[in-house]
Amino acid sequence: MHDDCLRAGPALPAVYVFDTAKLERERWSLKRIGFIYECLLELEVEIRKGDPVIQVADFARTHGAGRIVTSETPDPLLQSQQQVLSRSFAMQIELPEPFVELKGRVDLKRFSRYWQKAQGPAMRG
Amino acid sequence: MPDAPMPDTAMSRSFASRDALAGYLKQEFPHAQGELSQTSGGAIAARHLLEQFSAGNYAASRNFLRGEVSRLSPYLRHGVLTLSEVRRFLAKKYQGLDRLLKFIQELAWRDYWQRIYAEAPGYIWNDVEPLKTGKQSGDYKGTLPPAVEDATTGLACMDAFVTELNTTGYLHNHARMWFAAYLVHWCGVSWKTGARFFLSHLLDGDPASNNLSWQWIASTFSSKPYIFNRENLEHYSGGIYCQDCPSKNKCPFDRSYEELTERLFPLV
Repeated sequence: MHDDCLRAGPALPAVYVFDTAKLERERWSLKRIGFIYECLLELEVEIRKGDPVIQVADFARTHGAGRIVTSETPDPLLQSQQQVLSRSFAMQIELPEPFVELKGRVDLKRFSRYWQKAQGPAMRG
Repeated sequence: MPDAPMPDTAMSRSFASRDALAGYLKQEFPHAQGELSQTSGGAIAARHLLEQFSAGNYAASRNFLRGEVSRLSPYLRHGVLTLSEVRRFLAKKYQGLDRLLKFIQELAWRDYWQRIYAEAPGYIWNDVEPLKTGKQSGDYKGTLPPAVEDATTGLACMDAFVTELNTTGYLHNHARMWFAAYLVHWCGVSWKTGARFFLSHLLDGDPASNNLSWQWIASTFSSKPYIFNRENLEHYSGGIYCQDCPSKNKCPFDRSYEELTERLFPLV
């Protein structure tokens, strides 16, 4: 699990790791950590802190897992962590449910250009 | 990756009270400043907010600090709810989305920011475009003025926004825009410094939504810098700050847009 993915998943052993170095570096306030912590307390998930790669690998080995399920992320730090884990484990990257499915190249220079293409599918739901 | 097994480092899941949780987190994360927000995390709280939200009133009132806004952003940010789930819930409640264009568009903004993040992650901490303020990036300060961070500027609005951000981890979008414009254009502080400040406090702090919005204010992701004046702030805040503001007779925002533009961006 990572921080875009605080929701119930399939019935697999799950772990969430607070990346202490990142939180310190980015000076996360207690309320940000507490909010996420309360989300986790509603889920069947083990909570850890430390280096995410080390902790996730340890959790997987503890459970005899050869495969790790996680979510696709645009965050380069999380991507690099997934990359490191993929050297030791089979990685299953789940795609989030799309808000709109847009075909072809989407011009993202301004919201108005994106919205021109996205409005139809967004309003159809 | 080290091969040696790590000791069991599972954190506690059982707390007698919210205060006990706060005490535990202070011990475990000694660098984290402040207290818990009154906003609780979790799907139960998210569902409650969604059910209470009068989306039909959103378009007409959303720019007012006391307007009908969802406050769902922390839950959307962390995947407790998805954009599609919110849309499905509202489509059912309102028997379609026709009346909810503005709110659906607001959900789309998050999708838009995330698409940029995925396509060009380098934009998150770098100017997307050149500034349109007549200044260079290096002209802006890299630290927060202590009076801003301590909420002692003497500007009742800005001090209240910082206090609210520190206490709750949330600010209405219009307050975010006013504060960001004040910090960048009046105080001459880099948008990156402001973005970092917000990310350390906002429960919905997301690098894409947050940083690209700061760039929109700064003009590195828009065609011109965003500014406001006292009339605008007073109107949409219901005048709650200006009434007793110690700076009400020397308000730096109390000018026409033309005067402010000339004063803030003399080189343009």
